[in-house]
Amino acid sequence: MENRVLFDTVLVANRGEIACRVIRTLRALGIRSVAVYSDADAGARHVREADRAVRIGPAAPSESYLNIGAIVAACEATGAQAVHPGYGFLSENQAFARALEEAGIVFIGPRVHALTIMGDKIRSKNHVSGFGVPVVPGIAEPGLSDDDLIRAAGEVGYPLLIKPSAGGGGKGMHAVERPGDLPGSLQTARRVAASAFGDDTLFLERLIRTPRHIEVQVLADTYGNVIHLGERECSLQRRHQKVIEEAPSALLDPATRARIGEAACNAARSVDYVGAGTVEFLVSAEAPDEFFFMEMNTRLQVEHPVTEMVTGVDLVEWQVRIAAGEKLTIAQDDVVLSGHAVEARVYAEDAEAGFLPSAGTIAGLSEPTGEGVRVDSALLPGLEISPTYDPMLSKVIAWAETRTEALDRLDRALAQTRVAGLRTNVEYLRLLINDGDVRDGKLDTTLIERKLPDLAFRTATDAEVAAAAVVLSGAAPAGAVSSRREAASPWHSGDGWRVGGAHAAMPVHLAVGNGPARTVLVLRNGAHSHGAHSVVDIDGRRFEVSWLAGSGETEPLRAVVDGVTLDARLTRAGSTLWLTEAGWSQPVRLLAREEVLEAQLSSIARSEGAADPEVRSPMPGTVITVNVSDGDLVEEGQVLLSVEAMKMEHQLTAAVTGTVAISLGPGDLVSANQVVARIHPQPSDGAEDSAAAGSIPPEQEEPAS
Amino acid sequence: METLASRLDPNAAAFRQNDAAQRALAAELRDRLAGAALGGPERSRERHVGRGKLLPRHRIDHLLDPGSPFLEIAPLAANGMYDDESPGAGVIAGIGLVHGRHVLVISNDATVKGGTYYPMTVKKHLRAQEIALENNLPCVYLVDSGGAFLPRQDEVFPDREHFGRIFYNQATMSARKIPQIAAVMGSCTAGGAYVPAMSDETVIVRNQGTIFLGGPPLVKAAIGEIVTAEELGGGDVHAKVSGVVDHLAENDQHALEIVRDILSTLPAPQTAWTPAEAEEPAVDLDSLYGAVPVDVNAPYDAREIIARIVDGSRFHEFKKDYGSTLVTGFARLHGHQVGIVANNGVLFGESALKGAHFIELCDQRGIPLIFLQNLSGFMVGRDYEAGGIAKHGAKMVTAVATCRVPKLTVVVGGSFGAGNYSMCGRAYSPRFLWMWPASRISVMGGNQASSVLSTVKRDQLEARGEEWSAEEEEAFKAPIREQYEAQGSPYYSTARLWDDGIIDPADTRRVLGLALDVCANAPLPETSFGLFRM
Repeated sequence: MENRVLFDTVLVANRGEIACRVIRTLRALGIRSVAVYSDADAGARHVREADRAVRIGPAAPSESYLNIGAIVAACEATGAQAVHPGYGFLSENQAFARALEEAGIVFIGPRVHALTIMGDKIRSKNHVSGFGVPVVPGIAEPGLSDDDLIRAAGEVGYPLLIKPSAGGGGKGMHAVERPGDLPGSLQTARRVAASAFGDDTLFLERLIRTPRHIEVQVLADTYGNVIHLGERECSLQRRHQKVIEEAPSALLDPATRARIGEAACNAARSVDYVGAGTVEFLVSAEAPDEFFFMEMNTRLQVEHPVTEMVTGVDLVEWQVRIAAGEKLTIAQDDVVLSGHAVEARVYAEDAEAGFLPSAGTIAGLSEPTGEGVRVDSALLPGLEISPTYDPMLSKVIAWAETRTEALDRLDRALAQTRVAGLRTNVEYLRLLINDGDVRDGKLDTTLIERKLPDLAFRTATDAEVAAAAVVLSGAAPAGAVSSRREAASPWHSGDGWRVGGAHAAMPVHLAVGNGPARTVLVLRNGAHSHGAHSVVDIDGRRFEVSWLAGSGETEPLRAVVDGVTLDARLTRAGSTLWLTEAGWSQPVRLLAREEVLEAQLSSIARSEGAADPEVRSPMPGTVITVNVSDGDLVEEGQVLLSVEAMKMEHQLTAAVTGTVAISLGPGDLVSANQVVARIHPQPSDGAEDSAAAGSIPPEQEEPAS
Repeated sequence: METLASRLDPNAAAFRQNDAAQRALAAELRDRLAGAALGGPERSRERHVGRGKLLPRHRIDHLLDPGSPFLEIAPLAANGMYDDESPGAGVIAGIGLVHGRHVLVISNDATVKGGTYYPMTVKKHLRAQEIALENNLPCVYLVDSGGAFLPRQDEVFPDREHFGRIFYNQATMSARKIPQIAAVMGSCTAGGAYVPAMSDETVIVRNQGTIFLGGPPLVKAAIGEIVTAEELGGGDVHAKVSGVVDHLAENDQHALEIVRDILSTLPAPQTAWTPAEAEEPAVDLDSLYGAVPVDVNAPYDAREIIARIVDGSRFHEFKKDYGSTLVTGFARLHGHQVGIVANNGVLFGESALKGAHFIELCDQRGIPLIFLQNLSGFMVGRDYEAGGIAKHGAKMVTAVATCRVPKLTVVVGGSFGAGNYSMCGRAYSPRFLWMWPASRISVMGGNQASSVLSTVKRDQLEARGEEWSAEEEEAFKAPIREQYEAQGSPYYSTARLWDDGIIDPADTRRVLGLALDVCANAPLPETSFGLFRM
């Protein structure tokens, strides 16, 4: 194909790794790339890598990456003839596709018709089932009685699931194993649905046990050619978010693969699909020859690289070519799957703390390289990761001849991934891909939740904490000296020197990972040079800390503790030191004096009830307003009432949080020092259950994207 | 400028002997310091900590910036006195950094006899205040003391340099805009109550600090009132009712944080001069141990010391070939321009004239002086007296006494006789004075003193026609030598605050550097005389 039929300029209406990945192919095709960015992304990697970049608005996605007008304007300003939407954001937005059409700009994706049908989950199922694509058997009509449902159950098949029409998120669902149990379960389900949702309408659906998420990549051109590029398995999900994806699936045999591929092509044909798309199926591990259509994603998928690695096809290139009106030159028979590829998604989240999202600035970064390893990443040293956008930071993909080798390679690649500055799930990914069931290919969408409690996350060793304490207390070689003048003065040695050559033991208060605050003693803090030894006492054990020569300059600092070099690297970012090793990372944060003191004082306040619970009038006067009612819960510092005296109004506030007892009203006279209110302090809060409510079974719920 | 090099062979027997002997003395010093630093008996310390109080040294550690050095004053005060029941004289004093500025801290040690004031406690407290006054340092008093040690009231209460002087100093320093800050972290009884009361800004720890002129027992005895210490003078009373204190803290750490906050509100200090960039000495500082004999009578070149303590070992020597028993010259130390005056033997008239000239030179130029004291005194004998050595010595003493630049003295060897005066002994108000472990200080050496006294005695006996055998004479001389031996020890000296502490020779450069930075806090007065060539 000659490039002259392709576009001159393509705008990438996305951010993060996918924008970078699309730009890479555009460059290879000789197409000028235009990035768009929000204020939060001004320093982002996709902005740097594109040929041009256009600011489209403030950080909020609704005002930038979802702002159709701004993106169309950016196309016009840069002369972009086509837009690649990536995934997420506007990639499946019909209004966007229409707006581009109206502006005479090509949307790199399917036509509006396909977007419309496939964008509606119920409609799409009904639609494709008319084209011979199997869907999960079920009955979903309003007003069905128990008898109607019992009659229909035989066709649906067992085991089945009773779903309340008004429910969601797995709530009120009942599994039924045998026909005999159905009437009783229906009664229960109706009662529950009525009380929980005020609507007792029930549907039935076949229960797919140990469900596996298998999806098929399709490519379709504007000339009616449709091919599939094999399947991907994405069964390792957490709360509908895919974590590990691979191609091909360990579950399918060639015959099933051909059948499921054909079904996917049929689904695409049913909407005259154009471009790259993915048809998602649910397959029961217990009956792998049966598969059921779930939905079609009318865009490029996050996990497309595994398909690219086993087929050798650049999907983005084909998206562009098809959008430019080219014909598919790959026939179905040309598609040969070679080897095995596995992708791991690196998220900004703290797996150990229940996958809490994390944010921060990349203080240290190294990403894996090597044969059979691909990294699609948007990371840059110094980049700030804010919680505004998707927490996915990068994808690490490994290819090898066999699945086992690919997993081994992925494991090594993840071990080479070093991200300091925020928590990532890389350690978790390594634990997961080394799980016995994962290794055996025994996957299902509940595996992650099931195995999570037994995972052994690594915590910092005392030797590592000792090294961190030395760095954070200011005597490590890297960056402890703020100016040459200061270093000249022995007052700024920072070593706590005392007469007689002793050094003050410096208590250093640290928050290590998610653990409680720890206090360690830096007994001696070596000078600002390599080879200088420091001594740290942790719970009575002494550690001698020095530094590996040459480290801490161009590469991260490495500590030598008691003569042994630590495996973990040390990266300082302000008052936090990041320990990183083989994908694991843990922050050690130096607690400020104020924080330590505040914690101490609040414990004193709790034990003694230090603050005065009685509120007294400072002078004789008249109550003019009462802002609270007797028995109200009041916060410390909240204004309770105002007293006027000497023509001045005095606000009286609560000294502690608690329940207020007050009997005065406006107009009442008070004398000096009179108790005007009493507060019964609140008992200290019990351990607040911060964990989210019980987990939702991911089965047969909205699939991950 | 000349770069000094050592002429010593580190493999020579003498060098190795010196090294071993000096290191042994330094180790002894460290042991004694570590012992004194513990404070009171273990039981007292446990009781103190058991009440939720920080030990006094931990209070200082918490007060100072993390990693700040602490230039302690007289840590071995009262060493060997009062049956050794008052380690460090029950008070810790020194200079540290708070928010990057030099602050003088005086912290009572309640584990030592309840923090009561022995005579040496008073002397140490006053000396610390003097250092604050001379160097313009804000004072922080961490008060935890039962007041005067009553059994010795005659030695601590009535005289000019006794307890009352503490409050006099607070008032006069405050008048000179030297901030006076107190944190009441324990008892503060009777006279002691004036420490917070006389301070500019005061903190008290609730349920721990008390301030009253008369404690509960005295109140009961005097007026029959029964009252608890907390009711009588606790934090709530003074913070909410009496107004004696300004800030109420919940515990030691909180009080110290408030003190830090108070100090952060002070106007930024001005410095009299700014040091240049520092440079390590070219000659290894550690080899100082081998370079200096422990016997104060053994001769050595004072330049061996200078080479090991000044920046780049560079020394611009003044009048090198005149009065060579005194070495004078300019150098930088931790970036500070300094004039160094060091003994290289007994003082002759020429040496004294040279010294006087050099001191005047430094004074004219505003350059701080460092005296490295090691001499047996001025030369004696008919020729020298006739040559006017007394008036030449007087010139140097006058120059030392009247020069306005900061003076720092380190007694590195002998400090005997009038040599002590001309080399800026304690009476000549150096801003700081330290001794090395091998140094000696007395009016003359033990041998000379016993010989002088026995010669006088023999003359008396012989005048009366009596016999005095050699054995009798030796029996007469031995106790005199022993007395001089004991009283000439630096430990005897430092116990009595004749100095600001004994330092490890290897710390000399650091200690001088710390002190020079401190000295720069006080502005230099103008001189009003031209230089007199001697």
